Amino acid sequence: MRDVSFGSYFPAKSFVHSMDARAKILIAIAYMVAVFLVSAFHFLGFAACLLFVIISTITAKVPFGLVLKSVKTIIFFVVFSAVLQLFFNRKGTVLFWIITDVGLLNAGFIIARIVLIVLGASLLTLTTSPVELADGIEGLLLPLKWIKFPVHEFALIMSIALRFIPTLIGETDRIIKAQKARGADFESGNIFKRAKALIPVLIPLLISSFRRADELADAMDSRCYAGSKNRTKYKKMRLTYRDLLGVLFVAGLIVGIVFLNKFYLLSGLSVIAGAL
Amino acid sequence: MPLLEVKNVSFSYVKNKQTLKDVSFSVEKGEFLAIIGHNGSGKSTLAKLLNGLLKPNSGEIIVDGYSSSDKNAVFEIRKRVGMVFQNPDNQLIASIVEDDIAFGPENLGLPREEIGKRIDFALKAVGMQDFRKATPERLSGGQKQRIAIAGVLALMPQVLVLDESTAMLDPEGRKEIAEVVDNLREKGVAVIAITHYMEEAVKADKILVLDRGEIALSGTPKEVFAKKSELDALNLELPLAGIIADKLRARGLNIADDVVSDAELAGALWKLL
Amino acid sequence: MEITVKDLKFTYSAKTKSLAFRALKGVSVNIGEGEIFGIIGKTGSGKSTFIQHLNGLIKVQKDAGSIVIGEYDLTDKKCDYRSLRAKIGMMFQYPEHQLFAETVEGDVAFALKNFAPELSDGEIESRVKDALALTGLNYDLIKNSSPFDLSGGQKRRVAIAGVIVAKPEILILDEPAAGLDPKGKREFLELLLRLHKDFVKTIIIVSHDMNLVAEYCTNAAVFADGKILSCGTPKEIFSDKSLIEESGLNVPLTAFLVEKLKEKGVLIDCDLTVDGFIDGVCRALNLKGE
Repeated sequence: MRDVSFGSYFPAKSFVHSMDARAKILIAIAYMVAVFLVSAFHFLGFAACLLFVIISTITAKVPFGLVLKSVKTIIFFVVFSAVLQLFFNRKGTVLFWIITDVGLLNAGFIIARIVLIVLGASLLTLTTSPVELADGIEGLLLPLKWIKFPVHEFALIMSIALRFIPTLIGETDRIIKAQKARGADFESGNIFKRAKALIPVLIPLLISSFRRADELADAMDSRCYAGSKNRTKYKKMRLTYRDLLGVLFVAGLIVGIVFLNKFYLLSGLSVIAGAL
Repeated sequence: MPLLEVKNVSFSYVKNKQTLKDVSFSVEKGEFLAIIGHNGSGKSTLAKLLNGLLKPNSGEIIVDGYSSSDKNAVFEIRKRVGMVFQNPDNQLIASIVEDDIAFGPENLGLPREEIGKRIDFALKAVGMQDFRKATPERLSGGQKQRIAIAGVLALMPQVLVLDESTAMLDPEGRKEIAEVVDNLREKGVAVIAITHYMEEAVKADKILVLDRGEIALSGTPKEVFAKKSELDALNLELPLAGIIADKLRARGLNIADDVVSDAELAGALWKLL
Repeated sequence: MEITVKDLKFTYSAKTKSLAFRALKGVSVNIGEGEIFGIIGKTGSGKSTFIQHLNGLIKVQKDAGSIVIGEYDLTDKKCDYRSLRAKIGMMFQYPEHQLFAETVEGDVAFALKNFAPELSDGEIESRVKDALALTGLNYDLIKNSSPFDLSGGQKRRVAIAGVIVAKPEILILDEPAAGLDPKGKREFLELLLRLHKDFVKTIIIVSHDMNLVAEYCTNAAVFADGKILSCGTPKEIFSDKSLIEESGLNVPLTAFLVEKLKEKGVLIDCDLTVDGFIDGVCRALNLKGE
């Protein structure tokens, strides 16, 4: 049970850790926009983004190894995308076999883009606990109340989900062990056999989850829960000078990239439009 | 007027099968009531009726002047009757202790400063001041259950209902909860404990024995545990001290009839030997 | 089968230093055939990690001690865990964690179909029938019911039937009586004694109930902080009250009474079962009379 480490949060006391989650989410989004803004073949822009990540990582006191680890998990996806570009891009001149210069550059471009985006996202989750993240998302969604979006309920669902993930992981582990003790075999056989072997795990898990949900609802009712009406909030998020500095920093990055792109601005915007 | 009064309450989940039949009793301020009965006797259903999670089919429950038959009073009743269930994992809502305790006061719409004060108060009442920023996942069972109790205490209830709240705890956890209960009673909070542990029931002011939805026996622990044959018929047992006292008497030893607690049995043997 | 554990260590998240947690720090114990062995200790003392090693649910880590159970060497990579698990039944605290099939019959047969796929339907049926009968349930009445519709006590019986159907020689139970009412608890423990007289040779019970340990166990081990603090008969381990209390436990009522009377200068020499204690008291009284 203790083997389970949830999420990739790296607890530490740092400048970045103590920033407001809302600001961090916005900065992360702005950073990703910056990465997308780097227009084709302007690798200097990518260098700027990489510098941004490196400085942020140092300020956050997070080991570089942990940040890089996130790339390892998507390595297959990166290679796959690059290979597609390499073999199926017919533009440009052929360097050797069916590989063109444009294809090669595009492959490098795609690798840089994906890796940089993943680095930024992992830095956000490494420095922001799931709870803060949920609070931050709620804070940012708050304006949506105007269009009757149930922000409070949405946030509550997120926070309960976060709260129960470790509990359910622990429970799954116990059920698997109970069935293994009765000779269940989850490791051998083909994919269909293995899927079928999971039934004795999934059914107790499902039933227990329903029971938990039922009890949780009773506990919430008992504590006078009645939806978001007239509800107050204990935790207040406060923006500080740190957040301002962070925003200025990422704004600087964007301005720099736009400057580098000067002549490619239009194509950069079309990339964003394409991405959206 | 008693703090909580249950008047001729009946309840059924399905037609023609009554889970509770004409149950009446009352609880005074600061009183400790234990409810015992075998599995399926209707104990947990009764607990859920006490704070309006369920509504009686007939009869009523009056808490501090608010009646269960008044639709608008349900939140007033819930504020006054706090419920703690068996599994602390299924009661904690937030991933940080103080956020979890804030949940109740937030629901009441209290101002921030007041919520902060209530968190202080509740954590102190359960002796968990040092765990304000902790994650429940990392706490022991007893500590988690104390946080669950704190979450209810933050609503400043006058009655605390513990529905088998110690069943999943180790001896240390049970001891911790017993201390919290003593502490609360000193503050005038009434405690209703539903339990399988006769050793816990012995400590109560009054015991209620439920059987198939009806009150089969009630009285002080001494009165209830004196009715050995009745308890036997209800599939219940004496606390272990009572069982040992009984067996010693059967061997011709002179042990008073009303020995039910560990300390009393020790005292009786002390005198004898 | 005799269980011999030597200097067993176990670390969770051993690969990540910052998360590493040493759950077992060198546990050695010998559990002989025929014992009803109690394992006590507060939550997080390493009890669960320990018992899960015994049937290979947790594998012995490299250079972290050894476990030998009968002819099985659990440090051996070629150890046949399937046949080991058939001989060592394990029941967890909540029957809800193992019940899954549509019918009681299907659920009880699960282990048998896994461990002995060669059995014919008729043989399986008769084994399921026997297992249910041992737990005091009527096969014909209950076989087609859904396990989820049963009462708490019945669920526990079906769950144990689903373990003993494989006729294990060793039975490991985690909190066998938690959540049962006093009568249900007594009946369940009597069922364990019946099994112990039948084909189950060794029973290992993890429990928070010290009275239960004193009453039923031949030997017990006190776990604290990943180590065994003391091991012996209930009389031996509960004689050191301060050690028991330091471990976050309490002593059984009989030990408490013996201790109290000792303060008065009355020594009662008895085992800590209720009947043993009563005999001891009577003996002490007779001595006083003379």
